[in-house]
Amino acid sequence: MTFLYLGHNCATLGEIFELKAELNSDKKEKKKEAVKKVIASMTVGKDVSALFPDVVNCMQTDNLELKKLVYLYLMNYAKSQPDMAIMAVNTFVKDCEDPNPLIRALAVRTMGCIRVDKITEYLCEPLRKCLKDEDPYVRKTAAVCVAKLHDINAQLVEDQGFLDTLKDLISDSNPMVVANAVAALSEIAESHPNSNLLDLNPQTINKLLTALNECTEWGQIFILDCLANYMPRDDRESQSICERVTPRLSHANSAVVLSAVKVLMKFMEMLPKDLDYYGTLLKKLAPPLVTLLSAEAELQYVALRNINLIVQKRPEILKHEMKVFFVKYNDPIYVKLEKLDIMIRLASQANIAQVLAELKEYATEVDVDFVRKAVRAIGRCAIKVEQSAERCVSTLLDLIQTKVNYVVQEAIVVIKDIFRKYPNKYESVIATLCENLDSLDEPEARAAMIWIVGEYAERIDNADELLESFLEGFHDESTQVQLQLLTAIVKLFLKKPTETQELVQQVLSLATQDSDNPDLRDRGYIYWRLLSTDPVAAKEVVLAEKPLISEETDLIEPTLLEELICHIGTLASVYHKPPSAFVEGSRGVQHKRLPARAGSGESAESPDVGHSGPSEAPPAVIPSQGDLLGDLLNLDLAPPTVTVPSVQPSMQMGAMDLLGGGLDSLVCSSRALGGDIGGSPSMGAGLGAAPAAMPASLGSAPTVGGGLGDLFDLGGGVGMPTGSYVAPKTVWLLAMKAKGLEISGTFARRGGIIQMDLSLTNKAMSVMTDFAIQFNRNSFGLAPAGPMQVLTPLSPNQTIDVSLPLSMSGPVMKMEPLNNLQVAVKNNIDVFYFSCQYPLSLLFVEDGKMDRQVFLATWKDIPNDNEAQFQIKDIHLNSGNRNKYVLDRVLQNYSKKTNVFRDCMQKQMYDSTSVDSLVHDSLLLKGSYDAILKIIIWCNRIC
Amino acid sequence: MISQIFILSSKGDHLIYKDFRGEASKDSINVFYERVTALSGDQTPVVMAHKDLHFIHVKQGGLYWVASTKTNPSPFTIIEFLNRLAALTKDYCGSLSEKSVRMNFALIYELLDEMVDFGYIQTTSTDILKNFIQTEAVSSKPFSLFDLSNVGLFGAETQQSKVAPSVAASRPIMSSRGEQGGKNEIFVDVIERLSVVIGSKGVLMKSDIQGEIRIKCFLPTSSEMRIGLNEELSIGKSQLKGYSSAVRVDECRFHQAVKLDEFDTFRILKVCPSQGEQTVMQYQLCDELPCAPPFQLFPSVQKDYVNRVLIFLKLRCDLPPKSTALNVSITVPVPKGSVSMSQELSSPDQTAELQPKNKALLWEIPRFPGGAQLSALFKVDVPGLSSASLLEVGPVSMSFELAKQTCSGLQIRFLRLAPSQTGLSQRWVRYVTHSDSYTIRI
Repeated sequence: MTFLYLGHNCATLGEIFELKAELNSDKKEKKKEAVKKVIASMTVGKDVSALFPDVVNCMQTDNLELKKLVYLYLMNYAKSQPDMAIMAVNTFVKDCEDPNPLIRALAVRTMGCIRVDKITEYLCEPLRKCLKDEDPYVRKTAAVCVAKLHDINAQLVEDQGFLDTLKDLISDSNPMVVANAVAALSEIAESHPNSNLLDLNPQTINKLLTALNECTEWGQIFILDCLANYMPRDDRESQSICERVTPRLSHANSAVVLSAVKVLMKFMEMLPKDLDYYGTLLKKLAPPLVTLLSAEAELQYVALRNINLIVQKRPEILKHEMKVFFVKYNDPIYVKLEKLDIMIRLASQANIAQVLAELKEYATEVDVDFVRKAVRAIGRCAIKVEQSAERCVSTLLDLIQTKVNYVVQEAIVVIKDIFRKYPNKYESVIATLCENLDSLDEPEARAAMIWIVGEYAERIDNADELLESFLEGFHDESTQVQLQLLTAIVKLFLKKPTETQELVQQVLSLATQDSDNPDLRDRGYIYWRLLSTDPVAAKEVVLAEKPLISEETDLIEPTLLEELICHIGTLASVYHKPPSAFVEGSRGVQHKRLPARAGSGESAESPDVGHSGPSEAPPAVIPSQGDLLGDLLNLDLAPPTVTVPSVQPSMQMGAMDLLGGGLDSLVCSSRALGGDIGGSPSMGAGLGAAPAAMPASLGSAPTVGGGLGDLFDLGGGVGMPTGSYVAPKTVWLLAMKAKGLEISGTFARRGGIIQMDLSLTNKAMSVMTDFAIQFNRNSFGLAPAGPMQVLTPLSPNQTIDVSLPLSMSGPVMKMEPLNNLQVAVKNNIDVFYFSCQYPLSLLFVEDGKMDRQVFLATWKDIPNDNEAQFQIKDIHLNSGNRNKYVLDRVLQNYSKKTNVFRDCMQKQMYDSTSVDSLVHDSLLLKGSYDAILKIIIWCNRIC
Repeated sequence: MISQIFILSSKGDHLIYKDFRGEASKDSINVFYERVTALSGDQTPVVMAHKDLHFIHVKQGGLYWVASTKTNPSPFTIIEFLNRLAALTKDYCGSLSEKSVRMNFALIYELLDEMVDFGYIQTTSTDILKNFIQTEAVSSKPFSLFDLSNVGLFGAETQQSKVAPSVAASRPIMSSRGEQGGKNEIFVDVIERLSVVIGSKGVLMKSDIQGEIRIKCFLPTSSEMRIGLNEELSIGKSQLKGYSSAVRVDECRFHQAVKLDEFDTFRILKVCPSQGEQTVMQYQLCDELPCAPPFQLFPSVQKDYVNRVLIFLKLRCDLPPKSTALNVSITVPVPKGSVSMSQELSSPDQTAELQPKNKALLWEIPRFPGGAQLSALFKVDVPGLSSASLLEVGPVSMSFELAKQTCSGLQIRFLRLAPSQTGLSQRWVRYVTHSDSYTIRI
């Protein structure tokens, strides 16, 4: 037995012995054959490491073929035999000096692949020589070897200065060398995100673009991928790069094409839309994408996944190419489903007739999955293109007539969605639906049908009979159907109370007494109590008008979409997940972002799907499925969460300002604010800890001089309340969108510390752990000041409140709207994305104290033509001094805020328009407060 | 970046395994094989993930060509590369099979070493590779009766030898140095794939042609070759010429080695073909076919008795009379629950059968001359037939092959090798059109 076992895994002793003899033979041919045999055994998984010394002995030969074979063996076993591998070092070093460039390159290539620490030190000198070799073949091999060495011993590479040599190779005369240097540098740079290794500037970019035209197709891919990481300075540079990249679109290698598409999609972002070139570029992008669909199925699928992203970002590129997405009967199913998805995304009023005719054909095909998806697609068309709804419904009715079981069920599910989008419009079809009641055997279809019956109970004469028939097998139904049935019967009862009393009793008792499903029981009890205590209220609750479902179904969330666009042509674009979700370690986890477009006026009218600001969202529209965007839009309708100082101008000044000083230093240290106010820097660190010392300037009222003096005369008077107004928590992330994790939250400023108050609720069935939070770059550099402290695992149905202190030291990027914050929350299940908006007042520091001279100087600094004047109507001074105090206080506060703004503006991020939009963007309160803000902000505009 | 590359036989035997970055273990081969064999129909086979390792594979010559990666590389790059690797293996070993890969493992390892370094793809061009490759191919020529039939015949130029023998193109590009017997041959193929959708009333709803010019070169030294296409060839949608006979394509792409300086005026492609197979030009044409679609179908579907459907098909071939369509097969979906079928066909070489598993009937015609019209009557028994079931009949799909024919009308006017080319070289030009997806709705 033992012998057999060995025979399977290792070469048998006999074999080894025989090979050994052959390896030591004098004849070259015999040696070669022997090494080949050894490698063949190695490939099938036999252990031939025992032959290591004998194989290494064959290394010193002038026969290149034999040498290559020996090197192949070495690479495989060096790791398990490090001591033996040292024996080979001398030959390597010697080979690196060989007159034949093939041997030099072979030696340096193989040495890099021997991942043994001891060897690396011997490698440095030969590598240094090879990097400067006269033969480009050796140089290009050496360039890759630097990356290999870096992978084994990063420190060594840095110490030996190989990185600089590698950078020099970017200017090499041979394009292959350039391409490999770029590839090696890109990989090394990924593990050092801040090293600025690939120092991309217009000069190097120019070199790369020149090399692009000359190197092999694979080298072109490295270079294009590297270009995609560059941020052009302005739209002109962006255009010139685009112009030089566009010829790649007609390359025969689809990988080159996609890398070029990625560069163009990214740089296009910077081009003004009214530019002629922008339109030309859009036109040029379509043909290569269409051509990809003629490739083999694997490539087609990958291409379609990418096109799916591109279509969501820029539907205009492919809007005339609908036909190419029509499925062919011999497409594999995964290609068919992707095509269907893209067809819906491209559907518009112009082409809807064509699309529907196609979909109707698909619905009669053989493949069940495909047919179902086609029927769903018809429903999505109806919801997306309002003009087509009627035609869609009649198409669906035709399909129901076929009586093909799964077609009917699928049709009923989508008709339910259509009812929710267009209530009271297509109810005439209900009769047809009811005819098919008996054939429904899938829970989703049954639930949909029950919903329809309940919703339109008053128009269906025998609604009670229908629902009663479902009730018979209540306990055998799935939860989905049970819940739906319960609700439907309650609806029916509220509409026709007289004849259905018995029925409702029956269902309530079934749900509450005979069921052990807590969801069902709870819902049952709620209805029961509602009905028994206040039937009128019950009616209002149960029969309330439902929000409409949105037309843009399952779009990818915009932040994710942006990131994925930066990763076009990579695995991320196939999975539709950011690389951080599937690549381990540091590599490739940096989030990439699209550049901001030049010309700010434009972004407002950007017609891009999924890019619309909250103001464009029609109220009371919720998405029908998996649509985070819709949720976010909804949530934006929450009451404006702006600090209202007039609410309680209570006298908490002392404590308040103490902390304010602390915050100042926090802000100052990180963002170098101008006009520092005497706060003790030490307080910055101790979050929320009450500082021991009073800032010196506090309480010392400056001497009064003129009207302006009043502004400063508030010393210990009125203070911003410590825990100023905090908006109630709103739901930011719905449980159904986040595998059961619901997050609601708000922002607060307490004691000078910005805090994000979160409630995490676990609505899933399993325990959640390992929470972490991360912000995307945002306008004011908000970032978590520490990790999110969720120490205990969150068990099902448990809620935990977390207060996350925020700092303003994160990376800055202008958001639209300005106060938008994109957040990623991770737990043991997945990563979820949502975005929320914080009140701008969050950023205002409490201590507005400013030295008078400084204030006056600042005031004068502002050009006169920036001053705007208008009347303030809403201030009622007769209500006592209080308002004056408030007004003064606010002014004072804002002189401080001026600095915050100025700081932002020094970064040249905001022009006057965006401050304007900031004012308009529903950030500020109505009334006097609002008016004052406007004055001050306008005064402080910087052109 | 590619982490590993391996080639597996269809039974899962390890033929080639190469680890480029030492970051994944060899077990991944078995993991991959388990995953790929367990795939169900609705899963996409293109990219598969196992923990943090991602597999991308293609299947060619009955073998799995697999790359694994731990980073976020371009799947296009990897798929293109694997296809290229398979093509190169075929070029170097003559054919693509488990046997040829097994016999030439040393050569393939050597190729891989030059093609990929540390997971970065270096080159796939035979021109560059031939400078480095030392190992010679071991040819595994299958025994073929065709070879025997070619022998002798007293030196007469038979019809047979005028046609490029089908096995001629499947031999290694690098014939062993000792034997100079390798013929100086070059094959130029114009291959088109035709997709057509014909609506229920015989209206042409969609048609497109994907075409390519492919060359396979066995010339020992590379020298410039000039390929002349139809002079009246026009490119792009906007350029409508006055007369209708113009040959037009919407868009074309070229191999990067193709020089186009004479293309705009004379429609001549200049290329120095490297040894092996390469696609010189790809083109496509959407919607406006220069000729009528090759087949028209006149179907009628009726309910006969209670449980029987009558499907009467009349099929006309609109090719010119000299041409012939080969291996025509027609698939007609039939209602669910069809149990048996009887048919009336017009000639004995045709066959028809009911495939209840696919819910379809298949009608096959080996040769279909241009201008001819064939008809067939199928009686399908469907227990429990309803009038709605009739809707399940259709759409009809067809597959066929049109030899010596291009639907776009693209022709190769001439094929000239530079005069410096020593020795006699044989040049072959072949045309073929395949059906990619040919659908006729009822």
